[in-house]
Parts: sequence; structure tokens; C-alpha cells
Amino acid sequence: MRSALLLRRFSCAGFLAAILLLAGCALNAPQTAQLIDTTPDGLPRRHLIAQVPFHAQDAFQCGPAALAMALNHSGVAVAPDDLVSRVYVPARQGSFQVEMLAASRAYQRLSMPIRPTLEALLRWIAADQPVLVLQNLGLSWYPRWHYAVVIGYDLDAGKITLHSGETAFYTLPLRTFEHTWARSQQWGMVALIPGDLPVVESEESYFQALAAFEGAGGRGVGKAWRAGLQHWPESRNLLMGYGNHLYGSKQYAAAAQQYRRVVALNPEYAPAFNNLAAALVERGDRAGAIAAATRAIALDPGNAARYRENLVAAQALP
Amino acid sequence: MAKNTPKARLFTVFLSLVFALFSLQIPAHAAIVTTGEIASAAQLDVQKQQVIERLLQQDVKDQLLSLGVDPADVADRVASLSEAELQQIEGQLDNLPAGAGLGTVAVVLLILILLEVAGVIDIFPRL
Repeated sequence: MRSALLLRRFSCAGFLAAILLLAGCALNAPQTAQLIDTTPDGLPRRHLIAQVPFHAQDAFQCGPAALAMALNHSGVAVAPDDLVSRVYVPARQGSFQVEMLAASRAYQRLSMPIRPTLEALLRWIAADQPVLVLQNLGLSWYPRWHYAVVIGYDLDAGKITLHSGETAFYTLPLRTFEHTWARSQQWGMVALIPGDLPVVESEESYFQALAAFEGAGGRGVGKAWRAGLQHWPESRNLLMGYGNHLYGSKQYAAAAQQYRRVVALNPEYAPAFNNLAAALVERGDRAGAIAAATRAIALDPGNAARYRENLVAAQALP
Repeated sequence: MAKNTPKARLFTVFLSLVFALFSLQIPAHAAIVTTGEIASAAQLDVQKQQVIERLLQQDVKDQLLSLGVDPADVADRVASLSEAELQQIEGQLDNLPAGAGLGTVAVVLLILILLEVAGVIDIFPRL
């Protein structure tokens, strides 16, 4: 009798162990443990962005709801229903990550994926910037993809707070969140007002975000280029981008100044010489434009045909 | 009903040719290497670049349409994507994660509840 009971208990434990194995993941949450143990410099132990508007999601439409919350917080008046036609994909009954980024641009917000770590996520929250995250609430082999907006955390309690689904201020253990977030490769995005850059991460991702924003017809990009250059004053791509922005708005002298900085820092970079030549052509600086165009052609003979356009234009100057 | 005479067909071909030619016009600022080119790290011939981007856009457009996106919305949606993003998703739309929230959770309910209790998953927010 007794041994039968014991056997049953053992098989029960075995069943549970088998299930956890099926889950395919260890139960520890390394980032959570690390953050609670040794909180990085400058990161507060707790923070809540209390005033993020909440929208309960309709069936399958956590994408539009989460995006509306993020955009509302950055001052855009938009309802989830307005975003359905922007991000919802009927046959997949959901929304894609890149379309969440793209739709923010259409509402004049600079959208950028964050660095995929729990620490980076909490730094954005601490800077009062809600983060729209993709989670897999299920398992890798039984995915339940879900968008939510992270609005707060408390390292002493080991909790994180989200506006999620039908629940505002949904608070759950940070380690559970770490598991669900890890299964989306820790994808999160912010929708910034152009010119804001409260948390400094990677120059490359900021440049890419800004280039995409400008390419989609974003306004207020001058401020955004300058904000980037404040943090990375010697960034080749940001200097080029700002120079191109100035060139595009016909501020040729200022554009030439940016390109000159690039060539001073990167004397082998042909596109900067080419663009400098183009700006100098517009300024009527014949000698300067010829010199710059000639240098571009010498540095990159593969693109000579293209760079020669500015040389020809320069030589045609009086 | 539209007449499908040889003449009408010829006219259609002519019209599409005109459209194709117009859509391949080079932009005014070909003089500089653009920020978009720097971002896609592809400094091709401007014309080639534009054709590639247009083909990519068309592919993604077709895929979105086949997934039920309203034809009236699809052009705006694709126009907001960068070239890098288009490249990233082109041909992948059937496999990409699509965040949806929770529908009906019917399968393997017991397993899920156990995993939930163990804190591995978070399917039942109020459990």
C-alpha cells in the first residue's frame, strides 16, 4: 500500500520533470538575478511611469493597442482602431515587428529597436520612456506572440509592470518576464520625439533608425541629427547624414562644413569627398569642388562614373 | 464591359510602358551619396538601387496582400519601411512572429498550467 503511494508520488515528480524538460529551458533567469544582486550604476531600484495611457486590446489586436499606448505617451493622439489598417495582418491575426517600427514613423515618431538586454530595457523605463516589447507568452514550440508596453519595475520586489492585453498595470515577476521576453530574442522598441535621446545605446542603431525615419518622410530630422552628434560627435555616418540633411534643405555652406569634418576624420572615405564636391558646386567654389571630386574619383575608381558628375558640374562653373 | 480588341490591348501596353518609364526617373539629388545608400551600405548606381528597392517593395506588397491586408493600405505601409527592413522580411512573412495576444488556449492545457505555476510561461495573466 505504502510503496504504491510512494511510487505514485515519484511518477508524479517524474511527470513534472519531464514537462520542465519539454519546456526546453532552465528555470533560472540570469539577467534578473544579476540585476537584483548588483544593480548597475545609475539605475534606480524602482521606477514607474504612472501616466502612460492604457488601451485594452480587442481580439488579436495587441499590436495596434500597444502601439497606440506608446504613441500616446509621446504626444500623438491616435486610437488603436486607427492603427489597425497600419499594422494588422488578417491572415496572420497579428502584427509584424517591422511594421510596428514603420507605423511609428508614419506618425512622426522616431522608432528604434532597443539593445536586447534587460538592463537596457530598465534604463529606458528609468528615463520615463515606455518600451513596447514582443513576448512569446507560450513556448518555442507553442508560440503565443504578444505585444505589451513596459511601464515600470521594482528590483526590490523582483517585479515588472506592463500595460498588457486587457490589463492595465499588470505586475508580474521579473524572472517570468525574462523567460517570455527571451523567447522573442528580447525585442523591444521605443517611439521617440525627434531630437530626444534620453538613453544612449548604439550609434549604429540610432543612425539606422534616423535614416529610416528621414527616408519615410519624417519631419524635424535636423534636431534628431544634432542630438545624435552630441553623443557621437565624430560619427562618420551621423556627420554624413546631417550634412545630407542640410544639403537637402539647400544649406550648402553648413553641409560643406559637415562633409569637411568627415574627410578630416576619414581621409579615405570617397562619398564624403563626393558630397563635399556637390555642396561646393552649389556654392560656386570651382577650385574646391574640382579638388574634392578629383579626390573622390581617385579614392574609389569603381564609382568614378558617378563621381565624375560633380567634376563635370564643377568644371562648368565660371 | 471593356472591349478587348487588339487596339485596346495595344493601348494598355503603351500606357504601362509610359508608367514604367516615368517611375524609373532619377531623383534630382543624384549628386550626393544619399543617407539611404549609406544606411543600406550599398553604394550602387543610383538607378540600379532604385530598381532593386522598387522590386523589394513590390514583393513585400504582394505578400501583404496575400495575407489579407487591404489593397488601399498596402502602399502606405510599405512606403514606411526602410530598405534594410524590406530585405529583412522579404519572403519571410509566413514565418515571422506576428504579435497577436491570446486567443483560445485549448491545447495541452495541463502542461501549460504547470509551466505557468513554475514561472516559465505567462499565458494566464491572472493565475
